[in-house]
Amino acid sequence: MEEMILKLKQEIIEVLNLEDVKPEDIDNDAPLFGEGLGLDSIDALELIVLMEKNYGIKLQDPAKGKEIFKSVNVMADYIQKNRTK
Amino acid sequence: MEDLKLKYVYIDRQHACVDGVMLEHESQGGAMLSELYRAHIGDWPKFFKMDTLSKVGFLASDLLLKAIGREKPGEEYTSDCAVVLFGTTASLCADRNYQETIQDADNYYPSPALFVYTLPNIVTGEIAIRNRFRGETSFYVVEKADAAQMAFHLACAFDDDVTAGVLAGWVDSRHNDDFQAFFTMVTRDDAKYTDRLAAAIQTIMDNSNI
Amino acid sequence: MERIVQCIADNVVSPLGLDSASNYDSVKSGKSGLKRYDGIAMSLMDRELVESACLENGIPAARFTFFEKMVLLSCIKAVRDSGIDPSSDRVLFVLSTTKGNVSLLGNTAGFPEERVLLGVAARQISDWFGNKNSPLVVCNACISGVCAQIEAMRALMSGRYDYAVVTGADEQSPFIISGFKSFKAVSNDFCRPFDSDRRGLNLGECAATVVLKAADSVQDGWQLLNGAIRNDANHISGPSRTGEGSYLALMEVLRNCTPHHLAFVNVHGTATAYNDEMESIALFRAGLTDVPVTGLKGCYGHTMGAAGIMESILSMYAVMDHTVLATRGFAQQGTTYPVAVSPVNRTTDRRQFIKLLSGFGGCNAALLYRLNG
Repeated sequence: MEEMILKLKQEIIEVLNLEDVKPEDIDNDAPLFGEGLGLDSIDALELIVLMEKNYGIKLQDPAKGKEIFKSVNVMADYIQKNRTK
Repeated sequence: MEDLKLKYVYIDRQHACVDGVMLEHESQGGAMLSELYRAHIGDWPKFFKMDTLSKVGFLASDLLLKAIGREKPGEEYTSDCAVVLFGTTASLCADRNYQETIQDADNYYPSPALFVYTLPNIVTGEIAIRNRFRGETSFYVVEKADAAQMAFHLACAFDDDVTAGVLAGWVDSRHNDDFQAFFTMVTRDDAKYTDRLAAAIQTIMDNSNI
Repeated sequence: MERIVQCIADNVVSPLGLDSASNYDSVKSGKSGLKRYDGIAMSLMDRELVESACLENGIPAARFTFFEKMVLLSCIKAVRDSGIDPSSDRVLFVLSTTKGNVSLLGNTAGFPEERVLLGVAARQISDWFGNKNSPLVVCNACISGVCAQIEAMRALMSGRYDYAVVTGADEQSPFIISGFKSFKAVSNDFCRPFDSDRRGLNLGECAATVVLKAADSVQDGWQLLNGAIRNDANHISGPSRTGEGSYLALMEVLRNCTPHHLAFVNVHGTATAYNDEMESIALFRAGLTDVPVTGLKGCYGHTMGAAGIMESILSMYAVMDHTVLATRGFAQQGTTYPVAVSPVNRTTDRRQFIKLLSGFGGCNAALLYRLNG
């Protein structure tokens, strides 16, 4: 799981162009949106693309992203359970 | 009548020049934009999410506003400064980057973060957000850089009584490492005589190889 | 002496018809151009119909892209009706489009690569009419059509030009459709502006033209009184939660009229959750709660660069017909502030209207037309 979390953090940093952020800067339990990383609605949509492209998870309802992107831990857990690739 | 002189910022893939003074940098192309952002701005991480057109426009506008001594925005919003930009390529660079995400049926993942930049006026929005400008924002696409045409439409922007100044510029980008821009600030007085304004813009263009 | 600006001719080319009058009649009788294509609702031009109309108008099929053909068809009739000499150096051509020939990026179809540049596309149109002035392309996302009329008005007021041919158009292509889908902004079903059950927008194709004229005194007919463009300075894709830019643009045009003179506000009304909510807030803040509101996206979808011009023209026809058009797709109020939309046509004897739009980049625009005489 830890390996998976590190990989996920690297993927998030890459697709969201978080240029000056390192994986260790992202707290596993901290909320991805709101304060902290300063992510916005376009970032949320881009994370939906990431889940489909890298893990084969199709999220039809973007509102569901709110729960899944609560934290890196929650997101990694969701991916483990639902991934198709 | 005395000639009109406008302070300006010029940026291309190898140069960045603020009112005639070259800025030092080691890299070129897209990497140069990041280097200049880190050296001269540094407080706007969303910069790295922007497409090339917006990065160039954002950087040039920020350097210009600093050079003319405009204070950084506080909490207050203003409507008196319009942003009016021109170019020939519009969002062509972003268009190509987005097209790549849909070109191949086996690797078809349309990117919303790339798609949003396929509108050239997004750069005017980025500048408005940064500076808390709630005035007019416009992007005009033209056949070629023509000082008289630009001066005419910049003067038109003052038909809006609220507009006291126009943050005006030229910005083009065909690829992530290929871009050209100049930015200047035009006041209502500067725009009073369109021919004089056109001559001032022509001077900027001559000095910046546009 | 201050010049005034009139609209002297118009034309709408859409799935609902190849001229303004047939478009208006279709909308008034409750028709919509929206159909289902592979499960998603859109309003698309019949390609064969466009080709045969080009043939009738002597437009060589191989010389122009589909986008340019739509623009030409809409221009040719409007210019002919106006009676102006389009080759005169006193005529300015303005093109409002968001993506022009972008479909050539996926497949150039034998056209030179440069044709994807909007200035080059606009030149094809000017050349057809023999006009030597450098054409202006207004590329301000979804508000382009209103901005193009505002800029043409200013150019005419300045005295440099006497006429402006202002055309708005966009072609739908996989590029645009996939992008809006990636934004989760598209509804598969027919859109429902301002409704409590609205689920997103539909995309549409259209080309629309107005011919504007500068006059030295007020004359009978349509006068473009005022227009304003304002930015939210909030977010590049999400509308302001307080409707800031739309509110400011509305307040600016309201300097030239009072709400009880307005037949209606023709809104953007895309039927996305955020847009319609934002517009309801802006209308409320601007004191327009009691003014009838009408939206056309249920008949045409979102026609992007064409929207500001086509929706202005349909509004003119509605005022001349003493009608506030129904907002197709609307049934039940679904915004925080009530908006005076209606699922059926209403009557009016007022002679002014506001056209309101907002778009990506945080931009908003409003303009005010009045019928004189």
